[in-house]
Amino acid sequence: MSTASESHLGNLLDSITTRLQRGDAVDPLIEQAEDDQGDVAEIVELIQSLHTSLTPVNPGQEYAENLRANLLDGRPGVAGRVRQMPARLSVAAILALFAGCLLLMLRRIFGSDSAPDVPEEAVATPL
Amino acid sequence: MKNPFSRRINYAELDDKQLVALAKEDQAAFGELYERYLQKIYSYVYYRTGNVHDAEDLTAKVFFRALSHISNYVEKGVPFQAWLYRIAHNLVANWHRDQGRRKIIALDDYVAHSLTSEAPDRLTEELEERSLLLEAVRRLPEDRQQLLLLKFVEQMSNAEIGAIMGRTEGAIKSLYHRTLLALREEMVAIQTGDLKQWSDGKEG
Repeated sequence: MSTASESHLGNLLDSITTRLQRGDAVDPLIEQAEDDQGDVAEIVELIQSLHTSLTPVNPGQEYAENLRANLLDGRPGVAGRVRQMPARLSVAAILALFAGCLLLMLRRIFGSDSAPDVPEEAVATPL
Repeated sequence: MKNPFSRRINYAELDDKQLVALAKEDQAAFGELYERYLQKIYSYVYYRTGNVHDAEDLTAKVFFRALSHISNYVEKGVPFQAWLYRIAHNLVANWHRDQGRRKIIALDDYVAHSLTSEAPDRLTEELEERSLLLEAVRRLPEDRQQLLLLKFVEQMSNAEIGAIMGRTEGAIKSLYHRTLLALREEMVAIQTGDLKQWSDGKEG
């Protein structure tokens, strides 16, 4: 098929799709396409199948309301931000949090004697 | 931050551009954008993932990401709608990469619920035809799936699709033609068991 006739068929198929979506008659365009290109009936049938099969899907009402409330009741917190991350980053964030907690616990158990208290004078700003 | 004048604003009358400008400070404006695009984004993600659970999870991520980045959003030839779809597209692409679920063919619940025939024989036939079609769609490369979903589920014009996919109107028209031909081949291949693997790279 030459580039010009390919482009012409492309335009026709696009017009057929648009008319089908608007609910307009497509028969004249199909006849024109068949006169020009031969067997396009199969492709038009495919367009019709796509038109009837690929229809909008509604989310559940409860889900929609909950998501709206979560979005608008406040900017996402730490848990929300972790949830938004890609799976690998979420796992890394959770592991880092866990490691941090573990480290604090270990320091509390084994390192309390060795950690010297900072004298208050040392951090006080002189007047 | 809540806009003290938000009660006086009729958000439904504002266009996307005005809402986006307000939404940088006013959550109620973002709420209106959410109402406008929830079903569209959910539908898109649902067809791309094939199941309700992941569609809900990813849709939530799309809106959370949009909310957290809206203060930085500047419309430079990419309308808000296109920006939102690009977020959705990227999240879905990451999801496919992370999970390696490209070949899962679900959508069974939706297919079963959306059938209209009451005669059991016809119902089975419709179910098989639609499953075959959706399987063939989901075997296409990402950009072709995206094009079909935007054209049929969202009923967008070629110009709108072009804005989302970063292509010209002419390129979309041409890609649509090639997608239909490829889809027809895929359906035949599924029926005959002669399946080929697509490379995942985008084509021009």
